[in-house]
Amino acid sequence: MQRRKKYDKTKICVRCKDAQGNIVIRHTVYCKNCFTPLLIHKFRRVLEPTVNPKPDGPRRTALKPAGNLVIGFSGGLGSSVLLDLVHRCYVALDKSTMPTEGGRDHPRHERVWKKVTVCYVEVCDAFPGMDDRTDEIARFVSRYDELDFVPLRIQHAFDRTWWERIGRSTSFSDIGVDLADESLLIEPLSQTHPDPLTALRTYLSSLPTPTAIHSSIQALTRVLLLHTALQTGSSHLVLGTSLTSLAVSLISGVAQGAGFNVREESMEEWTPDPETRPAPDTVPDDGTEGARKSKEARRTVRIVRPLRDIGMKECATWAWWSHIPVVGKEKWVWPGAKPGIGTLTKDFILGLEQDYPSTVSTVVRTCGKLAPKGEVAGKCILCGRPAQRGVQEWKARISIRSQPPPPPSDSDSTDAPATPAPVVPESKANTRPSLTPYLCYPCHTTLTSRSARPVPSPWPDTAHSSVAPLPVWTEARLGTHANVGVSVADEEEIAVAKKMDQEEMKGIVNEFLCIIRS
Amino acid sequence: MSTISLKIEFGGGLELLFSNQRSHRITIPANVPPEGSDVPSKPVDITYLLFWLRDNLLKERAELFVENGTVRPGVLVLVNDTDWELEGEGEYQLKDGDEIVFISTLHGG
Repeated sequence: MQRRKKYDKTKICVRCKDAQGNIVIRHTVYCKNCFTPLLIHKFRRVLEPTVNPKPDGPRRTALKPAGNLVIGFSGGLGSSVLLDLVHRCYVALDKSTMPTEGGRDHPRHERVWKKVTVCYVEVCDAFPGMDDRTDEIARFVSRYDELDFVPLRIQHAFDRTWWERIGRSTSFSDIGVDLADESLLIEPLSQTHPDPLTALRTYLSSLPTPTAIHSSIQALTRVLLLHTALQTGSSHLVLGTSLTSLAVSLISGVAQGAGFNVREESMEEWTPDPETRPAPDTVPDDGTEGARKSKEARRTVRIVRPLRDIGMKECATWAWWSHIPVVGKEKWVWPGAKPGIGTLTKDFILGLEQDYPSTVSTVVRTCGKLAPKGEVAGKCILCGRPAQRGVQEWKARISIRSQPPPPPSDSDSTDAPATPAPVVPESKANTRPSLTPYLCYPCHTTLTSRSARPVPSPWPDTAHSSVAPLPVWTEARLGTHANVGVSVADEEEIAVAKKMDQEEMKGIVNEFLCIIRS
Repeated sequence: MSTISLKIEFGGGLELLFSNQRSHRITIPANVPPEGSDVPSKPVDITYLLFWLRDNLLKERAELFVENGTVRPGVLVLVNDTDWELEGEGEYQLKDGDEIVFISTLHGG
């Protein structure tokens, strides 16, 4: 059987209808000359409607953001292409990238963001044997002029000095969470102000699965970038998530219970917690009237993924034709670890993209139509994303948290029914303060969903402590609430965990099934 | 036996599998034996080149380059600056002086 062609009809570019094509993008052929404006158009089309605090509607006006811009840079392909595009379009003001409408002196052709900062979070200390690429990244960023570079390390998430440096108060006590107990009880740390690196490794070693380690590092990186955006007076944080990476994060997010946050994967707005917000004086002000007026508005950071319509193949082609020396990222692996949900999803999506290129775009477009059911009840204390109201009650209703009794062996002569063994150690006390009511569903699942098999830790030699430290922003927010038994996410409600016996739970599940059937 | 010369380039981190050298010049036979024959009667194509590169230039982790008889998903191939999907992918018959580029899209993201 003849193999199906990967392109429609002819090899001539569909845009200029003249030149021989050079690249096939989801069955459509483009030449090299038309590829550049096409990519810039797709990039601007996503980013520009999000620049002004309020959307313009059909009338296009000048782009006036409420603050500066931070580029979240990982060294990977997507963020390298993003950095190049942002620099060409908004810093170097390359004429070839300008929209043609409005004439040469149209305000749309002026510089948009006063200051552009590139923030890189080095994760090498989270995994054994990983190289530190900070210097290489700094050299890459220095290829572009007029950009500020802020290198961070992942352990800054546990570093009080960094928290203080970005203008936050550190007057809170050292508290951690008992990750060995599913109740996630909040406990005081045995050591005051632990070293950030040790704290990071203890936290990662206490997580139950490789997926949890990957997700936690992604969440820590994201929040570090957001606080950097706030510190630099930025209204926008742009990330180099391509169409392919977005499809991966959407599918793997849903697989990890983040269905409620499916919209935040594409675009989100983040405001710092009132308790941990920096004092107004610490927010940089560049002296302009607009900057002063928008100081309040600037406290919201909009996370935009301008490459979300551009696939990885297009990114790789752009990088090659633009001579961008991509630094690259190392895989997040350690001895004995099995691939997590994210890695498996990535392999699946890449295979899918090769055989059925349009399907990846369909995944993203379909997810774009989803509207999560349920109300928002505040923000998760760990990841800062919206948390759904009543998820713990729902989880308690539908989860069976005990195993059936083991089958009686021949030697077992007694007929007395065995007491079901709990899957996880029973909670020490349901009335003690717990982290659970402060968490969104995916973060709670990340911290509590255990593998049936033992999971090798990236740092087996790290001293194991039953109480794991928490990121500084979580500690700071918990520290402001003297009564931690009250949910911060939903302060008008008091969440109390209630243990129920098997019969009671069966009754509730049956009732739930009856409602579904009717 | 007639031969052809090719310029091979690796990008996006794929060069790390090939002695960290981005550009290579190679010479390969112009004709190779088709499957089940010993007579070199078939013009050399990219599929042959993939296995030639794996057996002669690749230094480590072949599974990151070749998978199921073709390039691994996530590797982009350009033939004289044109996507190999426009040129028949693995069936493209190589010519003397061709420039073949392999770019990995998996070097992070």
